[in-house]
Amino acid sequence: MSSPRRRYWIIKGIKSTLFYLLVITIALLIILPVFFIVSLSFLTTHEAYSYPLPLLPGLTSRFILTHGERGYLLSVQDRVTGEYETVLDTDDLEKMSVYMEDRLGTPVSIPELEEQIARLSTEDPVYFSKSTDLLHNYKLFFQITRDAVPALVRSLQIAALTIIISLSVGGVAGYAFARYLFFGKDMMKFSVLFVRMFPAIAIAIPMVIILARMGFYDRPLGLALVYSIGNIALTTWITASIFMGIPESLEEAAQVFGANRLQAFIKTTLPLALPGLAAAAMFAFIGAWNETVAALILTQFNPTFSVVVYQSLVGATGQVNLAAAGGMVMAIPAVIFTFIIRRYVQQMWGGVTI
Amino acid sequence: MEAARQRQQNRLLGKQLLPYLLVIPAFTFYVLFWLRPVLGQFIASFTDAAGNFTLNNYRLVFSDPEFGIAFGNTAIIVVFSVTIEFFLALFLALLINRKFRGASIFLFLVMIPMALPIVSVASMWKTGLTTNGWINSLLMYIGVLEAGESIYWLAGSRWKMLALIIIVDAWQVIPSVMIILLAGLQNIPQETEEAGYVFGGNYLTVLRKITLPILGPTIQTAVILRLIAAIQIWLIIVVLIGFSRVPVLVERIVYYEKEVPRLDISPLMVAGYTVVVTVVVSIAALTYLRVFSRRNTEVEDEFA
Repeated sequence: MSSPRRRYWIIKGIKSTLFYLLVITIALLIILPVFFIVSLSFLTTHEAYSYPLPLLPGLTSRFILTHGERGYLLSVQDRVTGEYETVLDTDDLEKMSVYMEDRLGTPVSIPELEEQIARLSTEDPVYFSKSTDLLHNYKLFFQITRDAVPALVRSLQIAALTIIISLSVGGVAGYAFARYLFFGKDMMKFSVLFVRMFPAIAIAIPMVIILARMGFYDRPLGLALVYSIGNIALTTWITASIFMGIPESLEEAAQVFGANRLQAFIKTTLPLALPGLAAAAMFAFIGAWNETVAALILTQFNPTFSVVVYQSLVGATGQVNLAAAGGMVMAIPAVIFTFIIRRYVQQMWGGVTI
Repeated sequence: MEAARQRQQNRLLGKQLLPYLLVIPAFTFYVLFWLRPVLGQFIASFTDAAGNFTLNNYRLVFSDPEFGIAFGNTAIIVVFSVTIEFFLALFLALLINRKFRGASIFLFLVMIPMALPIVSVASMWKTGLTTNGWINSLLMYIGVLEAGESIYWLAGSRWKMLALIIIVDAWQVIPSVMIILLAGLQNIPQETEEAGYVFGGNYLTVLRKITLPILGPTIQTAVILRLIAAIQIWLIIVVLIGFSRVPVLVERIVYYEKEVPRLDISPLMVAGYTVVVTVVVSIAALTYLRVFSRRNTEVEDEFA
C-alpha cells in the first residue's frame, strides 16, 4: 500500500472515530437521565436515602441477623460498599417484617423470620438473602399518595372523553376541509391553528366560572371539554390530511352502485382512514394525559393523575424512589403511544425519513 | 327536463350546504368554549367588583414589584432557551441528515425526551438535582466529587437558577425543534447543495450560502413555535425551585390561583396576569401565522 493512500485511510479513520464519539456523547446525554429515573424507581427506600445512590437496583437483598440489646439486630448489605449496616434492633417480629417490606423493599413474612431466628441457636450471626420486590415503589406510590388510584382512573376517563369529542367534532370538520372548497375555508384553517397555539392557562382561568355554572367544574367532562379545544384543532388537521389521501372516486363509485353518501363514506373511506384516525386518537390521548396546568386550575378534590404526581413533586421530597416511580407511571403510556405514532409525528413536519 | 335541472340544482346546493353543516359542530364548540371564555376574561380584566369599567386591575399588576421580575425572567428564559435550543437542534439535524450508520437508532433515541410528559421530566431532574440525587452520585462514581462531597445545584443566585431552567428545558425540547428542522433539510433537493460544492464551496460556505437560506421558512416555524412554548414555561421551575423564588408570568397566575387564592388581590392579579400572558403569546402566534400563510402553498403538503 502506498503511503498517501495509507494517510488517507488514517485520516478518514480518525474523522469517523471522532464523529461517532460525538454521536455517542449526545446519545449518552439523552439516555443518562432516562436511565437514572428508571433505575431510581426500582431502588428501595433505604437505598434512596443513601449517598451516593446505587447505579442499578438490586435483585436480591442480603441480611445479617444477630442478638441485639432489645431483641434481634438486623443489618442489611449496602450494595455500593459491600458492607453491612445495622438498621433495626427489636424483638417485635411484626415490626421487623413491616420494616423490611416498606424500607428495604423485601417482603419477608413473620414465619420466615422465625425460621431465621431459629437458626440463631446453632450459628450466630445468621446470614440470609431474599429477592427484592422490584415493583415495591410503584405499589407504595399508589398506597401512600392520596387519590393516586382514583386520579389514574379519572385521567383515563378524561382522555377517553377527549378522544370521543375531538374525533367526532374534529373528524367531520376535517372531512369538510379535505373534500370541499367553501367560503371562509382559509380563514377557518388559520383560526384553527391560532386556537391550538393559544395558552392553556388563558382558557383554564375563565373556564373555572363557566364550568362551575354548567356543573362540570372538578369533573372529568369539564376537563375533557377544555382539552378538546386544542385537540379538535389538531384532529381537524390530521383527519383532513388523511381524507385528502383517500381518493373521492371510491365514494363516487359506491354511490354509482346505489349507496347514499353516508353509506358510501362508511363502506369505502372510513375503513381506509381507520389507522390514521387511530393515530389522531392517540394524539388526543397524549395531549389529555400529559396536560397539567389546566388540570391544576380546573380541579379541586378530584385531581388528574398528572396533578397528583406534580403535587408529590412540589415541596419537600426525601424519597427520590417514590418521585421516580410517580414520574415513570406518568411516562409509560405517553412514551408507548408516542412511539406507536412516531411515523405520524415525523410526517406532520413534512415526512422525516432515515 | 325541468326535474333534471331541479335535481342538479339541489345537488349543487347540497354540495354547498354540506361542508358548512360539517364545520358547524367545531365552529359552535369554539364559540362556546373558546371565544366566550377568552372574551369574558378580557372584559373581566377591565371591570371592577361593581361591574364598572376600570383600569385598576392592570394598575395593580403593573405596580406589583414581582411583575417586573417575572416579565424579565420570562424574557430571559425565552431569549436564551430559544437561541440555544435552535442552534443545538440545527446541529443535531445536520448530523442526522448525514444518514450515517446507526442514524435511525440515533433518531429513535433523540425522540425519547419529546415523548415524556413534563411532569416526568420534572421528576427526572428533581431526583437528579437534589443534593444527594443521581447527578451528584454519578459525579462521585466518575471521581469528580470526593466521597461525602456534594454540589448544591438548587441553591444560589437567580442567574444560576435561570441557567438551570434553560438547560433542563433544552434537554426536553431540542428533539421537537430538531424534527422540524430535519424535515426542512430533507426537503432540500440534493442537487442544490452539490452545485455549491462543484463551484468550490466548502461545507461551511454551502451551509451558510445555500442550505440555511433555503431552510429559512422552516427555521421561522421552529423558532416561533418554540417562542410560544417558552413563554409558558412554569412547571419545571415550580417543581425544581418552588414558587416565588424565580417568578415567571404563568407561574404568577398559578401562584395566585392555587397557592394564595384567598388574598383580596388574588382574583385581580390572576385576571391581569392572564391577559398579559395571552397578549404576549397571541402576538407570537399571529406572527407565526403570518409567516405560515406567506408559504401558504406548502401548507397542504405540511400535513399530507
